[in-house]
Amino acid sequence: MATESKTARALAETGERACWSCGAPRAAQFCSTCGKVQPPQSVDYFTFFGLPRKLNVDVPALQREFYELSRKLHPDLYGRTSKQEQEWSLEQSSLLNDAYRTLKDPIKRTEYLLRLEGVELEEQSKSATETARVTGEIKKQVVPPDLLEEVFELNMQLEELRMNRKMGEDDPALTGELEVHKTEFEKKYEVLTQELKQYWDQWDRVIDVDQEEKRRQVRDKMVDVLNRRNYIRNLVRDVNEALGS
Amino acid sequence: MSYSDKVLDHYSHPRNVGSMDKGSTDVGTGLVGAPECGDVMKLQIKVNPETSVIEDAKFKTFGCGSAIASSSLATEWVKGKTVDEALQIKNTDIVKELSLPPVKIHCSVLAEDAIRSAIHDWKKKRETPKPEIVEARS
Repeated sequence: MATESKTARALAETGERACWSCGAPRAAQFCSTCGKVQPPQSVDYFTFFGLPRKLNVDVPALQREFYELSRKLHPDLYGRTSKQEQEWSLEQSSLLNDAYRTLKDPIKRTEYLLRLEGVELEEQSKSATETARVTGEIKKQVVPPDLLEEVFELNMQLEELRMNRKMGEDDPALTGELEVHKTEFEKKYEVLTQELKQYWDQWDRVIDVDQEEKRRQVRDKMVDVLNRRNYIRNLVRDVNEALGS
Repeated sequence: MSYSDKVLDHYSHPRNVGSMDKGSTDVGTGLVGAPECGDVMKLQIKVNPETSVIEDAKFKTFGCGSAIASSSLATEWVKGKTVDEALQIKNTDIVKELSLPPVKIHCSVLAEDAIRSAIHDWKKKRETPKPEIVEARS
């Protein structure tokens, strides 16, 4: 490309990042020297916003940064630039939107971070089953048995309720029982959310001191809490649907 | 995404839905769940104590069509097998039989877990001596 400076090419070859236009070391979205939009890099969302991989995020500051970048990447500003720059600004824009949507929500942020930290729930569950098959040992279920038991019972009641509704019958006792269970599960959900918040603080401290072992421990605890929390969230949603219909 | 014909068949005509007496020594119960989708699956087997052949199997699953089909198929497959033969069933066999898409592989994993868990429960019960035997020994 004609616009690509020699320095930029040289830096690209050595794996370093430089502005395509002026060759100066570049920031994630714009060159810090000449201000030109840069081709999107395959960086994680934290890096995209120049944030450390921490779970407590200053959301108002993130929002300001988001608006600032959105403005700078607005298509109107690229009407008279090269085709390439127009494309890059669009790509940067969509990356910006994804990154912001993921990081502003604390749960999505946590799930995203866990993926970055190598957590793959499905993959891990599958390989645990394979290990159990080979060794004959029992696979540890991610959802504790007593919670599963409760979930199963509640689902049975929900099914009964739906059947009754279909037949045009109403069972106030059953509805009342479901309401009680729902309240209990909502409480559990709140407790788990609080527990998760404690792990965010722990994580942020661990990341500062860079302790590999402790980092894994906190990571796995967060996975465990999130799993149980998701289960309860789905359940409460189903109860609400059934009671509302 | 559309379900395969076999999934649809099991989904609309699930085999062996129901439950057995959890307290019976010949019955093994497996209760497993997948937090990704909130599915919960219960699979029970009735085992002949002499031959270790699984004589009956029942299931009840709350979840998507693939989860229901996987557990329905699992009950069909374990019936008539010995416990050791049933332990050879792989989730990939279920995937193949039902043509499950990659996003539904966890349903087959859940079904295999349910079989294992039910067999484990049955074995555990068998190893625990019955109260009257304990009495006879003392």
